[in-house]
Amino acid sequence: MTEAELAAKFAAYVETKLPGARNVIVTQISRIHGGASRQTYSIDLAYEDATGPQVKAVIVRRDPPDSLIDTERRVEFAAINSAFGQGGLPVPEAMFLETAPEALGAPFFIMGRIDGGETLNPFQIDAIEPHRAAMGQQFFQHLGAIAALPVAGSALADEIEIPAADACWSRELAYWAHEVRSNAVHPQPVADAAIRYLEANPPPPAQRLSIVHGDYRSGNFLHDGAGKMTAILDWEMAHIGDPYEDLAWATDPFWCGNDTTRAAGFLPWPEAIEIWKTASGCRFDSAAFEWWSIFTQVKALGIWLSSARAFAEGKNDDPILAWSGWFTYAAHELMLASRLGLKFGADL
Amino acid sequence: MSDIGMILDRIGHKLVSDIVPKLGADYAAGHAGMTGYMAVMAGEAWDGAADRLVTEIAGLRHLLQAGQVDHSGVPGAGSFKIGDLTVERDGLAAKLITLQTALEAASDGESRALNAQIWQHLTATAYARMPSPPALPETA
Repeated sequence: MTEAELAAKFAAYVETKLPGARNVIVTQISRIHGGASRQTYSIDLAYEDATGPQVKAVIVRRDPPDSLIDTERRVEFAAINSAFGQGGLPVPEAMFLETAPEALGAPFFIMGRIDGGETLNPFQIDAIEPHRAAMGQQFFQHLGAIAALPVAGSALADEIEIPAADACWSRELAYWAHEVRSNAVHPQPVADAAIRYLEANPPPPAQRLSIVHGDYRSGNFLHDGAGKMTAILDWEMAHIGDPYEDLAWATDPFWCGNDTTRAAGFLPWPEAIEIWKTASGCRFDSAAFEWWSIFTQVKALGIWLSSARAFAEGKNDDPILAWSGWFTYAAHELMLASRLGLKFGADL
Repeated sequence: MSDIGMILDRIGHKLVSDIVPKLGADYAAGHAGMTGYMAVMAGEAWDGAADRLVTEIAGLRHLLQAGQVDHSGVPGAGSFKIGDLTVERDGLAAKLITLQTALEAASDGESRALNAQIWQHLTATAYARMPSPPALPETA
């Protein structure tokens, strides 16, 4: 489907959804690069309603041909809904969810567009200077605020299973171990050993059940270039679980711009952890956090291996999948081998 | 002209430095830039791929020997083709996983020492596989 065809179909769809809207036209459509789990379009709409001419800026997230299952799209939509307008979080408004493929050729959802933002390259975090500290304070404030979001009664809780506090770790580990083992084309001695280690050394039960963003990190938010985070993106892996999971993912060394002395490449670790503790209301247990930080790298390998497989099998030819299956996979395998090697007495 | 590494390196630089800027804000610019980066990486990896696999295979056979694991059922590659070497490496790596699992269940010093050697090998091979990030301008 060309962008012109997509625009025409989208305008027709919106006219049926926006109350009182007529003569809807798409004045601008452009596909946004990055991420391969959804086709993301930035669209400007013009239309009329009872009060006169209107314009609206939206983002459309459409499933690619090898789409994930419906429930996962509903989960992303519900997660955004759960965070919108809560805790000072910069989250776009989730507007419409369409699970049938008829309107645009594939299921999709529409959310409000937050303009004026740019992404931050996780490999060039120093480019954000002189706003690095301010960005870091918001980064950990928002991360803590997500952990503090109410679970009961949230849109997300209506869509997915809520695990027991002592089952968060085992559920996540089982899921990602399966992703590693079912997608790997070659034997994975490092990942397999890490999975065995995590199984043999479980963390304590979750101190509370939280909404977990699932992919909160540098590169997955927008900022205004003047030190303000303007939007938290990519909620597609959101679930309910242990708040350490997000903290560990957000501070994984891969996203820290080669500066592991600062949490997530932004702030000295003690300052970052204090901000997160205050915002989340959680305590910090370094042993539990370490389990989740090792888990993070197994989860990463699961994502990169599934990306590599989707690319190799021709299900999705976005080069970012090849990059993930090669460079990012190699980086996380090396990090995991190094830290576990030290635990098992290797002379590194 | 048979210097494949050089060809891939030049293609990558051409994509990133010449073609991507001409694509402007078009969605394809991101694809072209990412492809360019990987072409440069592929050029570097191409040169060392067989050497890395041969080294990895030798290390695996040494560790399996030390662990008294019968690896005679994994035949030698018979060539230096990457595909053949990869089959041999994979057969040996599967046996290493079994050996390592057994060593973790044992508590004697000999098992711990061999497991430490395995981790030494795994870290070294992971390091060898790690591509160098290309020194190219940032793409769209």
